[in-house]
Amino acid sequence: MENVSTNGVLTHLSQLEVRARSPGGPETQRSRVKELRAEAEELRGLREQLKAEIRALKDPCFRQHLQELRSSADPRPSEDPPLLQMMCRQLDLKDLLHGHHLIGGLDAVQTRQGRAVCVSLQTTYEGVFLETFNLELELKPRVRIGRHNIPPFVPLQSLAEQSRLQTDPGAFLSTLSQHLNAFVGRRRQLQLVKEQHASVEVMESNLPCSILVLLFTAQTEKAAVLCTLEYSDHGSRLPGRVVLDCEDKQLLKSPEWRSCCATLMKTPVHRALARMKKSSLIL
Amino acid sequence: MLTQHKQLAQLQTRCQTPEEDMQSFRNFPAPSSSSGGVLWRMAHIVEENKLTLTHLAELEMIHAMENPNQGMWYTFQLLEPENDAQSVELTQFKQQFKCHLSELLRQMSVKIKKHTDEAVWIRIALGSSFSKPNHLKPTYVVHYLQTPYVFVRNLTSKLKPLLSQALTLATRHQGVKEANLSGRNLTSIRDLLMRQYQQVFPTKYRSPPEEEDQPVLNQHIEKEQGGVAAHRRHMAHQAFGDGMLPQLQSAVYMLDTKFRDPNNRTMTEREETFKCVVKFSSIDLLESLRSCASSGIASAPVTPLLSSIPLKGRNYFVVTDNTPGPSSQGHQTQN
Repeated sequence: MENVSTNGVLTHLSQLEVRARSPGGPETQRSRVKELRAEAEELRGLREQLKAEIRALKDPCFRQHLQELRSSADPRPSEDPPLLQMMCRQLDLKDLLHGHHLIGGLDAVQTRQGRAVCVSLQTTYEGVFLETFNLELELKPRVRIGRHNIPPFVPLQSLAEQSRLQTDPGAFLSTLSQHLNAFVGRRRQLQLVKEQHASVEVMESNLPCSILVLLFTAQTEKAAVLCTLEYSDHGSRLPGRVVLDCEDKQLLKSPEWRSCCATLMKTPVHRALARMKKSSLIL
Repeated sequence: MLTQHKQLAQLQTRCQTPEEDMQSFRNFPAPSSSSGGVLWRMAHIVEENKLTLTHLAELEMIHAMENPNQGMWYTFQLLEPENDAQSVELTQFKQQFKCHLSELLRQMSVKIKKHTDEAVWIRIALGSSFSKPNHLKPTYVVHYLQTPYVFVRNLTSKLKPLLSQALTLATRHQGVKEANLSGRNLTSIRDLLMRQYQQVFPTKYRSPPEEEDQPVLNQHIEKEQGGVAAHRRHMAHQAFGDGMLPQLQSAVYMLDTKFRDPNNRTMTEREETFKCVVKFSSIDLLESLRSCASSGIASAPVTPLLSSIPLKGRNYFVVTDNTPGPSSQGHQTQN
């Protein structure tokens, strides 16, 4: 192998030497110069041609003429590419995602090279951002719930079946977001009751904050009133049922207490209690 | 230890019969050893304040509730809730549970208390048809209403079917099965199942850059291996989570698969499956698995066999050839 390479390089060098020393040297050089001159002429001609084309395109009436030609021509299917369609669709989807982010606090991100989507759901109550929950949805072979950090008392499987996760994941996500927002809202209401109304004693509550039992003292006769709030619909921040209990049955039959029962069904607990305190119904 | 046990038993008998002569108790000689001395002083306090066994049981329960990370806790899962399972409240649960359990057992003592973190603690001391309840070995049951999980400590085989029945009826479910999660720390296994530890999810916003907690030792190594190490760390965090992890002590895999090893032909050629048990033990299992993955000892991305521990919330798996990963059945054939 060494011989071949030395043969190649060294013989080439010796050939060059011979050519340089030979009498036909300047002639070969002259022919080469002629070739190069011809090539230069050719390139100059091409340059002139291109300059003419640019001048023509810049000319407005020529451009108009060209546009007329373009519009009259049939829109060939290959010219309106599926690429453009996909780009439009992608922009639409981006706008839709942005809309979801602004209104519903829903963000989605593709993971694992498009095989899964990670959705993060933000929860708020009364304008304050509270927790963020995350849920991974696996897309292939069919839409399935992957890992998540949603507490176990939120019935994910039954929500998925109800809103038919396979065909309409958007509906499932909006129902889930509603449930989570409701849970976080109820929990925040309980916190506010404990903070703002120290005179009201919380007798019982549970993890999903769906049952609340409060004890307050009525202003008249300082009687103790036990109030049970049942949030039977876990997707709601307002109770489904309010039960008031007192030793003095007559007290509860008065119109103020009846209206306060109605208030508790319609307004969040902490605000209802503030209203009741203001109207001197309770201590 | 045995003498202490004997002394406790004597204390128990003393408390059960307060009207008996406490004179003989006063004649009880003060033992010389320090542990015996504590017990003697305790017995004296009990006698002075006329405490009964119920008071002592209550004290023991308060102690257990304040120190939940003792003993070995096993998890059960309630199945198929009825329509009104979501509206079971505490008084209803207490009534139903005590009622159902007392139907099945005669001699027993049940106490139910609610902890501040919404947990319902149940203390059950069983006796037999001939003896009073044995308060030295009570069973503790912890349940959060409206969640499907029940944590049990010191369950005896006699109590197990009765407890299952009482729990399903009181919580309005249709069945209960083993959840294949056990550990010494009640708070840890609860956090694992309630998903209250910090997990890492991919978001569209970039996460803040990680703090440099270790000084860069060698610039060249950092240049070559920095990206790879960061990727491994990221995979480990995705599988196991960020921050403090719940403390588990062990993970057990029962393998019932065909032996596969290209270097060992005799074992690979056998028809029958190879049965073996693999057990990982540690003071803090999830933390050690996470550092294995981030340091490269375990391959990244983390194998689903290991990442199933936090994902499915169990540390007992049965792996067979039919399933690609850990199967979802427990070691007992229950649904």
